[in-house]
Amino acid sequence: MAEREHLRITGVHALSALGRGADALLAGVLAGTPAFTPVRRFDTTGRRVTVAATLPEVGTLADELTDAVDRACRAAGLDGAHRAGAALFLATHGGPHSLPAGGGDAGPEVPALAGHLARRCGLGGRTRVYTTACVSASTAVADAATLIGRGDLERVVVAAGYLVEPDQYALFDAGRAFAADGAVRPFSAGRQGLLLGDGVVAVVLESAHAATARGAPTVATVAGWGRAGDAYHPCQPHPQGHGLARAVEAALRRAGLPAGAVGYVNANATGTGYSDASEAAALGRVFGAAAGRIPVSSTKAVHGHALEASGLLELVVTALALGHGKLPVNAGWLGPDESCPLDVVTDAPRPATTAHALTLNAAFGGANTALLVGAP
Amino acid sequence: MTAAVLAEARWPEAGDGPPPAVPGFVHSGFAPLVVAVADRCLRARYGDGPLPAGNRTAVVLVSASGDRASAGHVRATVAAGGRVGPLFFFQSVPNSVAGHVAARWGLDGPVVCLSPTGDPRAEGMAEADLLLYDGDAAQALLVLIEQAPDGTPGEATAVLLGEGTRQ
Repeated sequence: MAEREHLRITGVHALSALGRGADALLAGVLAGTPAFTPVRRFDTTGRRVTVAATLPEVGTLADELTDAVDRACRAAGLDGAHRAGAALFLATHGGPHSLPAGGGDAGPEVPALAGHLARRCGLGGRTRVYTTACVSASTAVADAATLIGRGDLERVVVAAGYLVEPDQYALFDAGRAFAADGAVRPFSAGRQGLLLGDGVVAVVLESAHAATARGAPTVATVAGWGRAGDAYHPCQPHPQGHGLARAVEAALRRAGLPAGAVGYVNANATGTGYSDASEAAALGRVFGAAAGRIPVSSTKAVHGHALEASGLLELVVTALALGHGKLPVNAGWLGPDESCPLDVVTDAPRPATTAHALTLNAAFGGANTALLVGAP
Repeated sequence: MTAAVLAEARWPEAGDGPPPAVPGFVHSGFAPLVVAVADRCLRARYGDGPLPAGNRTAVVLVSASGDRASAGHVRATVAAGGRVGPLFFFQSVPNSVAGHVAARWGLDGPVVCLSPTGDPRAEGMAEADLLLYDGDAAQALLVLIEQAPDGTPGEATAVLLGEGTRQ
């Protein structure tokens, strides 16, 4: 167990509507200004909602993923030999590309996209592709942690990508999942739904031994992880958050930490009524009365929901926030909702006085994950 | 650690017609095929189910193309400027049918969907193995499915893995 506690994040890169790079992401979530604007990337005529958090001037998903992996590897100080031994775990949506609009070379679809990325970035280890919806990236991190902890692998690059595109946009609109008021208000009274956002992210995970041997920087540690299912419904979370609670308990157990060690939760909360209430119930189930005293925020209110990439984007947010000593805000707040009795960080960032934070994700199928992040 | 095969099933077998429709899933044979093969595998071990709570049985769904028929329909409809039906939202990711199986049988372990970059069965077995090693799962229902390029249902295999003896 000891080696698991020292699993290191040694390099990160992130693209979102807040900008390119980790610094832009951190500055954006601390500023707390929502990045939602009218969609210009494709035609939204006829949709109920026409806003999303998109970064202007993005390349294809394949090109942006390549750039993200390369930059994360550079940030981690990986040379060619280190890259050659690294595995690549990719989290992204399956199916046909819908960008660039009108056709053009979008690069290969999954699963071939993983090999394409690995070749372009000089990663020579095994590849895996996760299509587990909104827990794809967090599951990839948990699996990488398991395999590194077991000694199967020394180094894994986890990459995840979603660029707001017309097909998923149309599906979420048809499913009436979007916030019609154009704002994401996690845990808040008056919340109306989610909004989509770009997220192309890469993280280098290494064993403590491998990182120490080459004098690598430490962005943060992954101290614990957990995955559990609700066994409840194809699309809706368990109302009492049973699966998410068990994922959090597994993460704490694996880290060897008591619940009281957690000083911040980067929540999954999408701004959806029943889903946010389910997550609040899960936190109550794990932390009891203390759930109302742990600072919580969902940064989806600022950068939007990056679907398959959300778990990695929010892991990076959580790691950077701990390292910087400030907890990001939960934008869009209108007032408390009795179904979400939590200490939500509103108005301004708070000082981070904790060494450990959770980042939570949940998805269709009742899939839940928890990652327990340690300060560097 | 290598998990034992507790039960295994295929669809179609001799005498099988198209798999039965699944409420809430439309247009494509993907979800009906997943449900049919999963039900057949789990019935062989558990009768009508469901499993008792706390079974920590994972659902690991392995498919390179996913629900190609539904994704193709959405792509064509959106490209033509049309509106997609709301049910396509709910079946837009493989998690949904995995969650349907999990809810039907009470499988409360992790849900993981993979698009294999190598041998699908080997990748699925490796995922089940790591979930069992880690302890988040005590068993895993592995479902392997591919649709034909035209979106028509192909074949599916379901394997229940865990500690115990083969049946």
